[in-house]
Amino acid sequence: MTATSVARPARGTRRERAAPGLPGGRVRSGTGRLRRERVGYWFILPTVAFFVVFLAYPLIRSFYISLHSWPGFGPEKWVGFRNFSAMFKDQVWRQSLVNTLIFTAATTVITTALAMVVAAVLKAGWRFGVVFRVAIFIPALLSLVVSGTLWGLIYEPSFGILDQFLRSVGLHELSTSWLSNSHTVLPSIIVVSIWQSVGFFMLIFYAGLQDIDPELYEAARIDGASVVSQFRHVTVPMLRTVTSIVVTLNLINGLKTFDVIYVMTGGGPDHASDSLTTYLYSLAFGGQVAGAIPLIGYATAIGVLVLVLAVIIVSAQLAISARRRVTA
Amino acid sequence: MNNDTSHADDSHLLSRRNFLTAAAAASGAAVLGACGGGTGTASGGGSSHTGGGKTGKKATLEVWSWYTEDAPVWHYITSEFHDAYHNITVKPRTFGSLADYSPALESAVSGGSTPDIFAPATLALSYGESGIALDLKDAMGAHFLDGFFPSINKEYSANGKQYAIGWEAQMFGIFYNPDIMRQAGVDVPETWDDLISAAKTIKSKTGKVPVALNGNPSNNAADFFLPLITQASDDPNLVYQLDQQVGGKKWTDNYVVQAFEMLQRLQANHVFETGADAVTYDEALALFYTQKSAMLFFGSFIVPGLLTSAPKAFNKLYRVAPTPAWRPGGRHWGGNQAGAGWSVSAKSPNADAAVEFLKFIYEPARYALIMEKSSAMAATIAAAAKGKNPIVREMASWIKDNGCNHILFGVGSETAAGNAAAAVIGGKLTPQKAAAQIQTQVDQARHA
Repeated sequence: MTATSVARPARGTRRERAAPGLPGGRVRSGTGRLRRERVGYWFILPTVAFFVVFLAYPLIRSFYISLHSWPGFGPEKWVGFRNFSAMFKDQVWRQSLVNTLIFTAATTVITTALAMVVAAVLKAGWRFGVVFRVAIFIPALLSLVVSGTLWGLIYEPSFGILDQFLRSVGLHELSTSWLSNSHTVLPSIIVVSIWQSVGFFMLIFYAGLQDIDPELYEAARIDGASVVSQFRHVTVPMLRTVTSIVVTLNLINGLKTFDVIYVMTGGGPDHASDSLTTYLYSLAFGGQVAGAIPLIGYATAIGVLVLVLAVIIVSAQLAISARRRVTA
Repeated sequence: MNNDTSHADDSHLLSRRNFLTAAAAASGAAVLGACGGGTGTASGGGSSHTGGGKTGKKATLEVWSWYTEDAPVWHYITSEFHDAYHNITVKPRTFGSLADYSPALESAVSGGSTPDIFAPATLALSYGESGIALDLKDAMGAHFLDGFFPSINKEYSANGKQYAIGWEAQMFGIFYNPDIMRQAGVDVPETWDDLISAAKTIKSKTGKVPVALNGNPSNNAADFFLPLITQASDDPNLVYQLDQQVGGKKWTDNYVVQAFEMLQRLQANHVFETGADAVTYDEALALFYTQKSAMLFFGSFIVPGLLTSAPKAFNKLYRVAPTPAWRPGGRHWGGNQAGAGWSVSAKSPNADAAVEFLKFIYEPARYALIMEKSSAMAATIAAAAKGKNPIVREMASWIKDNGCNHILFGVGSETAAGNAAAAVIGGKLTPQKAAAQIQTQVDQARHA
């Protein structure tokens, strides 16, 4: 017998080669498994191809561009990390970063809290609960571009209904040009964003509330807990997982917010409402200001930083949520 | 001063029969002109075109712009051109606004698929010097460009080459509502001091906004501010020198500060509506045609906008006057040039056909007709003088003596000047700080 013949395993019958764990004693040969695995690769190929073409390559290419000075035409000029270091000397970038963080924090905290409270109130069984639920959800059906345009008209100081209302009830001193006042412009946009999104997150909380065991409330009531105490000690803890999802979505939405700001103010006045994304857009495409020479390299560097920022903040939030779940 | 003009009718709407009749006449005139040895803008010969003519290779031309006022006319232009040049098909694509158009064009250029003919906006020189836009002086012949307003040829030229040709000229002025002016008992202002005085009277007697102005996006604030520099200095070259940073001129120049001081005075005297720095084009327009403002500061390209937005009665009501002067008897410098122009892709395999198409649409009679139908101001002196819209024709007559730069082509200039002007209108920057901010931002952009 040759060495080769010794090394070769006996072929045996199909039943003899049956894998121990397979139901019905079905047989799986090595080549069969390989064939099945190959088929599996074919199945995931479209997803992998999509990922490579639309995510991986653009990410790598973006990082490459961020290391260059490039107006979008002509040769790219290598500048290393100069685009990144330039951000810290750029006053508008600093202002945009602060605006983004304020916008993200405000929309996350207010939207999450408001959506949870509204969902709990509606779940408590208002007579017109369905009507309110629909009314609160309707803004979520509109695009932010439409909402932004509508609210732009509402805030308009000369014929907008907000200032007209304030003046008609004698509150002249409160009427202002909401979108051109650098102190009121960001809060005004935050209000629109919350108005738009609270209905959607309310629905998520409402769905989460359906899973809370009614016996928990019954036990709390027997123990003499007030409605507020029930909300605080039963509802809020039981919605922790849902809350974590809502907070994560709000954080991501806040960090990448663009449309509502772009439509309402274009980042103005004088960058008072610019977020990182509207600022990078105006650098890359001139925004609504004709004639700006595109700074694609610098804008891409800001885009890369937004991605890094989002990963860090969302990871931190998820880690905190996970730790709370463990300690609870 | 009173510059009443009889008003435009709404005959801009086009019937196919009218257009084809007039276009046939235009073609006939062009043929006769060609037989006669060349006439002005349409007759210039190209330098070295090898294809794309009536017997040339097949070509499809992509034509991109944001010139919505021309959109209704395109169908007729392209079909008429196709009748004359069977081998060339023209595919026009009109974007809704410059804000929509800019990203699309920049992406196309970055991706190496520049349209054959495109509106370059203020990137004309950058594209030209990067080899993306063709030198049209060479391609179409210098003689072809003779009939254009000189200010328009100058804005698209650098180092003896011209990278775009003007399509729609523009001139800024004060549009006003005679009824409100009469009600307030004020005349059209001759100077800025007159305007400040009139504004107080308008506010006290009618409660209306004196002048509607839109500072969002901020390049509209620059449209108002930049001619003030020319007014303060009486030097029509100064803005160009500041823009290109030549002749030792810097944005901290005393005349720039004086222009900002005037802007600040106007803002402090409530000449504009509250929050003008955040008001958009549509909002300013609405203030004017809903008769909540007595005046509107804008360019001649607002005329097509009012025809489509404002009631017919209002289109017959409003009038226009030149931008107020710096001092009594001074020149009424106002923003001129052409924001709308055409470039040809230098890398297009159909560059010859593109040049042929441009010559076709600029044939004098045809071009005048297109401008008339879109109620736009023609970029050639002859066609502008023939314009049938009285408001547009009136404004065109100011260009020769009062037209000055208001579109900046230098790196970083337009954004920096617009931001600073909007900030002064919003009361957020002093004149000195605004001037210094422009220079700082321009320096940053030039070294980026």
